[in-house]
Amino acid sequence: MKRTTLWKRMAAAVLSSALLIGAAFTTQHRADAAEVSGKIVIAGSTALLPLTQQAAKEFKKSHPKVKIVVSGSSSIAGPQSVAKGVATIGACDWDATRAVGGFPAYKGLKAYKIAKIPFAVIVNKNNSVDNLSVQQIQDIYEGKITNWKQVGGKDEEIVVINRAKGSGTRVNFEDKIMDGHAIKTSGDNYKEVQKSGDMVNAVSSNPNAIGFVDLAYVKGGIKAVSINGVKATTANAASGKYVFYGYGYLLTKGEAKGADKAFINYILSKKFQNGSLKKLKFIPVK
Amino acid sequence: MNELVSVPSKKMGRFRTRRTINKLMLGLISAVSLSIFSLILALLYTIVRKGLPDIDVHFLVGLPEEIDAGGGIGPFLWNSLYILFLSLFLSLPIGIGAGIFLAEYAPRTRSMEWVRGAIESLASVPSIVFGLFGYALFVEYFQIGVTILGAAVTLALLNLPVLARVTEEAVTAVPSTWPEASFALGATKTQTILKTVLPAAARGIVTGVSLVACRAFGESAIILLVGGTSASGEMWDFHLLSEGATLPVHLWYIQSEALVADAQEIAQKTSALLVVIVLLLSFAIRFPLWLTQRKKPR
Amino acid sequence: MEKLSPDWTDATNLLTARRQSRWAAKYAADRFFRFLCLGSIIFLGAVLGAIVLFVSETGFLVFRDVSLWEFFFSSRWDPEHGKYGAAVFIAGTLYLTLVTLLIATPISICVAVFIAEIAPPWLRQWLRTLLDLLVGIPSIVYGYLGATLLIPWIREHTGAPVGDGFLAAAIVLSIMILPTITRITDDALCAVPNEWREANYALGGTTFQMIVRVVLPAAKSGIAAAVILGMARAIGETMAVVMVIGNVAQFGFDLVTPTSVLTSHIVMQILNVDFQSTTNHALYMMAFLLLLISISLIMAIRRLRLKGGQ
Repeated sequence: MKRTTLWKRMAAAVLSSALLIGAAFTTQHRADAAEVSGKIVIAGSTALLPLTQQAAKEFKKSHPKVKIVVSGSSSIAGPQSVAKGVATIGACDWDATRAVGGFPAYKGLKAYKIAKIPFAVIVNKNNSVDNLSVQQIQDIYEGKITNWKQVGGKDEEIVVINRAKGSGTRVNFEDKIMDGHAIKTSGDNYKEVQKSGDMVNAVSSNPNAIGFVDLAYVKGGIKAVSINGVKATTANAASGKYVFYGYGYLLTKGEAKGADKAFINYILSKKFQNGSLKKLKFIPVK
Repeated sequence: MNELVSVPSKKMGRFRTRRTINKLMLGLISAVSLSIFSLILALLYTIVRKGLPDIDVHFLVGLPEEIDAGGGIGPFLWNSLYILFLSLFLSLPIGIGAGIFLAEYAPRTRSMEWVRGAIESLASVPSIVFGLFGYALFVEYFQIGVTILGAAVTLALLNLPVLARVTEEAVTAVPSTWPEASFALGATKTQTILKTVLPAAARGIVTGVSLVACRAFGESAIILLVGGTSASGEMWDFHLLSEGATLPVHLWYIQSEALVADAQEIAQKTSALLVVIVLLLSFAIRFPLWLTQRKKPR
Repeated sequence: MEKLSPDWTDATNLLTARRQSRWAAKYAADRFFRFLCLGSIIFLGAVLGAIVLFVSETGFLVFRDVSLWEFFFSSRWDPEHGKYGAAVFIAGTLYLTLVTLLIATPISICVAVFIAEIAPPWLRQWLRTLLDLLVGIPSIVYGYLGATLLIPWIREHTGAPVGDGFLAAAIVLSIMILPTITRITDDALCAVPNEWREANYALGGTTFQMIVRVVLPAAKSGIAAAVILGMARAIGETMAVVMVIGNVAQFGFDLVTPTSVLTSHIVMQILNVDFQSTTNHALYMMAFLLLLISISLIMAIRRLRLKGGQ
């Protein structure tokens, strides 16, 4: 009986002190919120998440009164959330005010181009193939070329890896490389992955795999192939010699106003474009 | 003496066969079990080996970095624990109460059987369905965005059916002689349940709580949808309406999209940390029970 | 109303007012507790009902654009060309659950028997703790380990080009539901009274006979509950499955062809579709199907349990 009373007393003490501390902190936070002069809610692409989160961090330092909430789930969630009013800024891997890749156009939104994104077609580090033409890549993904020896490699079956429908990277791949040719989405040498990181893992763990990903992710067990003889570098993508690139967009409902406008201006500022944006391996648009 | 002990040879043979089968089967069971345990140990070792030695205090309480190496996971760790505590606080009373009702008060009629079956099958709803419901409720209907509160409530909903079922099983397993003795001594039904049946069923209920808590701690799909992918950027944030990303969601983010230089190391350290915390959590939940039952055999 | 007998009224008068109010309070508390428990189950039912309604409401919208026949029996899933046949995913979920249970159930029961009956008492708690650790490993870690360790292993040993498929998913799921089935079976086995075990030995039975003829049948109901909860977890697992199953809308019967099930397909697509689109409705319909599949499987097993219980 004594032991249970002791436990009860201890539990009561812990619980009440926790509640007291919690109440103290909550009131303090709410008092701060009363002074805040703007709230930015960013939702959308996870590919742009490193960019928006870094920008939010830096922006908060110079604008301490603005509250910024950043989250990412998928590109389409960006324009959708903005259209519904759940978010104030949407991040998308394509211009959502036009109908792209089977997705509807979101009228009433304004798109701001904030970065140029270089992509790469990747193979396993141990693959002997270093260069592919756009035609060859098309044939591989259409299922017309099935063996590495047909493009100068080993006598092994090609394993084709694609991203899920709705991925911004895939939209750009279908736009810039496939150019209207349909990808063969069946067979026992084909699979789809969810995210860029999964793509990297899939290609680095399978010596016969081919895939595509943001250039910024190319390291470790994978390597980027040159396309049409042009090496996959940020410089080549910036100059336009390298064909596989896309743009990242931020969308707002109508013209951006207030805190949203200030934030987008910050991302488009020289300081950010030539600083953190470049460090994150994106290409400035200005 | 010999007449008493002599056994016909046929029976002797059957006895020996039974003994051999016994040894064989016990050996087989032990072999299978031991290899499973070695597999589990190997799995845990793989996860922990790369990450655990490098964890320092800065990693545990520091803020995350996007570009430079050396970021920490402080806010996510805090969110994980806070959300777990909140969701248990909400789901334990309701889940256990529902389980007690099913076991003690509800009749064994057709319709109650149907209710039991419904609860059991709802324990198998994929967490993403709860996540979608939470998203529609908190983010769109109440318009509060991705929050700790939404994540905690949705997580509590996920765990309710399992808690109710496990409690019901544990309470029905208590031999009926015990509550009968309690009634004979003049106790009310409530007193019987609180003082006799529940302590007897404690072991089973604690198993359920442990399973539920550990699962909630590692849950990612729900938190991703309802709690978001980022934390508020401050440590020790009690505010219920802050963004509520937890450690598993952050791990998912690191593995999927992060460009920071030491992403691999952070992922390994986070996986190792998750395993360690689950171990501690499991101990912490069982500890009071272990203390009170230490004197009993088995 | 007949007059109360004088003995009875005398007896109640003996109860002091204090005793009477304490008695009333005890029974008020009793009723209040019952009310709390009833309230809990009503709340539980209401919330779960709301979730079912929400999912089904959005899900049934799919039948505005797609015929019942096409959705359930067509194996062609091609939203770009207006084809919404979900048969592949439905068959996939059922097949995967079957394979997983075939692998997981015997092993889990084996391990539970080992812990409850064969292992020495000092080892038991450590083994149980070890199993609990498995539960806490997040599904994404399982998925990641599966994708980087298990799939190359499967590729080596089966010669498949990709390695993803039902086999990989079943192995990962089995490891994930092992603690659930084992721990609850363990508790069920421990709940069997010791006298029954002693009776077996008294009659000259071996340990194995005791396990098979006495303990396992006695714990049948608990074991069934354990298997059901494990199966529930397996049917609903998403994050780990999606990383090792390949995510291709085809039925990979040979276990090593990339394929898809209801849960993995939902999680692959759900964030990428417009909420008002037919694809989204189709995905919600699939979620509703998951509910129906688990309800019918569990109801069927409950009926078996009730019948064979005696």
